[in-house]
Amino acid sequence: MTGPSSTTPLLALEGVSVRFGGLQALRDVSFAVSPGEIVGLIGPNGAGKTTAFNVACGFVRPTSGRVVLPAAGVISPRATQLARAGVARTLQGVGLFPHVTVLENVMAGGQIRPGGGFVAGLLGLPRSVRAERQLRHDAAAMLERLGVASFAAALPGSIPYGVAKKVSVARALMCEPSLLLLDEPASGLDEAELSDFASLIRDLRATMGVLLVEHDMEFVMPLVDRLVVLDFGQVIASGTPGEVRVHEAVIAAYLGVEE
Amino acid sequence: MARVVGSRLGVGLALSVVAVVIVALLSSSTRLAVALGLGVAVLGVGATLVSLPAVRRDHPVVTRALISVVVVDLAVVLTFRVSATSNSNVAIGAAMAIVLLGLSFLTGSSGQISLGNGAFMGVGAFTVGIWADHHATTPLVVVLVLATVAGALVGLVLGLPATRLRGPYLAGMTLAFAVAFGAILNVFSSWTGGDSGLQLPSAVVAPHWLASYFGPGASTLTTSSAWLADISIVVTGVALFLMANLFASRTGRAMRLVRDNDVAAELVGVSLPRARVVAFTVSAAYAALGGALWTLVNNAVSPSTYGFVLSITILSLVVIGGIGTIPGAIIGGIIYAFSAGAISWLTAHLGLNPQGNVASQLDGIIFGGLLVLTIVFAPMGIAGLVRHGWRRWRRG
Repeated sequence: MTGPSSTTPLLALEGVSVRFGGLQALRDVSFAVSPGEIVGLIGPNGAGKTTAFNVACGFVRPTSGRVVLPAAGVISPRATQLARAGVARTLQGVGLFPHVTVLENVMAGGQIRPGGGFVAGLLGLPRSVRAERQLRHDAAAMLERLGVASFAAALPGSIPYGVAKKVSVARALMCEPSLLLLDEPASGLDEAELSDFASLIRDLRATMGVLLVEHDMEFVMPLVDRLVVLDFGQVIASGTPGEVRVHEAVIAAYLGVEE
Repeated sequence: MARVVGSRLGVGLALSVVAVVIVALLSSSTRLAVALGLGVAVLGVGATLVSLPAVRRDHPVVTRALISVVVVDLAVVLTFRVSATSNSNVAIGAAMAIVLLGLSFLTGSSGQISLGNGAFMGVGAFTVGIWADHHATTPLVVVLVLATVAGALVGLVLGLPATRLRGPYLAGMTLAFAVAFGAILNVFSSWTGGDSGLQLPSAVVAPHWLASYFGPGASTLTTSSAWLADISIVVTGVALFLMANLFASRTGRAMRLVRDNDVAAELVGVSLPRARVVAFTVSAAYAALGGALWTLVNNAVSPSTYGFVLSITILSLVVIGGIGTIPGAIIGGIIYAFSAGAISWLTAHLGLNPQGNVASQLDGIIFGGLLVLTIVFAPMGIAGLVRHGWRRWRRG
């Protein structure tokens, strides 16, 4: 059992509440993700998982409370600041760019790298050309690492769903994140793809923290170090999968909604 | 690999020699023949090198430069062989190709629509006219750069609201600019000449060192319009080269990402407002450069040229040529260059009264018809058709 890490967390939500008009989507939610840790955010449908996730990456601004990225020294980041702060996220579904090739989709993950200035690009200066060549090379290597290199020249619409998911992870990894946010990584994957994906995420733990939103319990339980359980916008439990599994509030929440 | 390079170089050299001989035979001036012949010979070798995938991949900028020079050189050679009228059409069409490159970048890459690029052309055209009124001796390059910068500034200012407007609302704003442009010119009529526009104080002439290549006939109408066509073609070549760089650069990718999926684009660190303003500014700058060339070619600038219809024509040409592609913009420019001639030919051969209703609307009818056909049968334009055909042919 991995205990709570003593190092500075990569991401911390501190007393975050979110109201959408009359709907209290989140109430005083706090949790943190540390380096080398896989944290799962779970809860019944409508519990506020996606909202919490969207707050973490700046898509939704908290009504009160704050989001802190201590390592990057950023408080309440906007979406465009994430990549520079070392945070990458995947979108629900796959969220790829439909009209550019798989390789260029992965290259997009390196958009914030140096050497991409407007003037250098316009004039075709050597540093711009070198930066693009390096980016292309690294993107190809990333596809290779995830075992989907043969799809490099294809368009996202023409590749299998499981491959597209990997491509979206490849893109997220291109900015060398210290924190990876995965939005429902298991959805739409078959058994083989699931175990493949789980081992990929375990490998990533060596260099980064991972926060994932998921409702496939069979996928989440053996994978994560820690679980944060939301229900009706509040954290009802958090701890190791073993602790959470026997937590009364969790059992009640799930029995209350499941078929 | 070395053998492939060797044999291709051999073929390239042989073709170059043939080209030199043809140029020499066709040319009326020996020095011109030598200059062009040498140019073609060097290009023959360069072009064969560029045809090798390894060279294309490892030296993209050199490749683009060589291709641009090849295109420019072929076009320049052409201008010595055709009539004065054709040459002024070539000059107009080459400038239009620049404008189309700009709109292609805006609409094809970043997915925004502009109905105001005719007015942005007008900004460049009037910048040249107003500047020449006060400083007649400014070098050509400086004048063109000034006009481009003026267009970029106006584009930047108008592009700022574009960061918050999408689709039809943005189109509406650019449309408003296109419609208001004539009125704006009238407000500043002491500078712009109001409805009658401006006449350049002196015709643009070739620098002495270049004029000497043209031989004794340098002052005739034929050579002066050839020279103007050459200016346009060379400037178009530079614009082409820069745009090809931009399409392939990080900035070009940012545009495609914004167009495809703006949420995901933000997540990889692309600032949507910045990307949209950059696209708008570049497109306006290119339009202004094209307009500046028009003023130089026509030796005058008139507000009626830069009305709303021009903006629509520009958009139609981009779609017909192939939106978001560089060859598409060139194709659009060529179509525009020869449309005036083709339309008067049609008027004559269909037996239409040149002053009649049908004849005066013929260009609108033809462009409209072509536009509809393109959208229905070839959404990626002529460039898309050619690419599709080429792929099928290669697969056999």
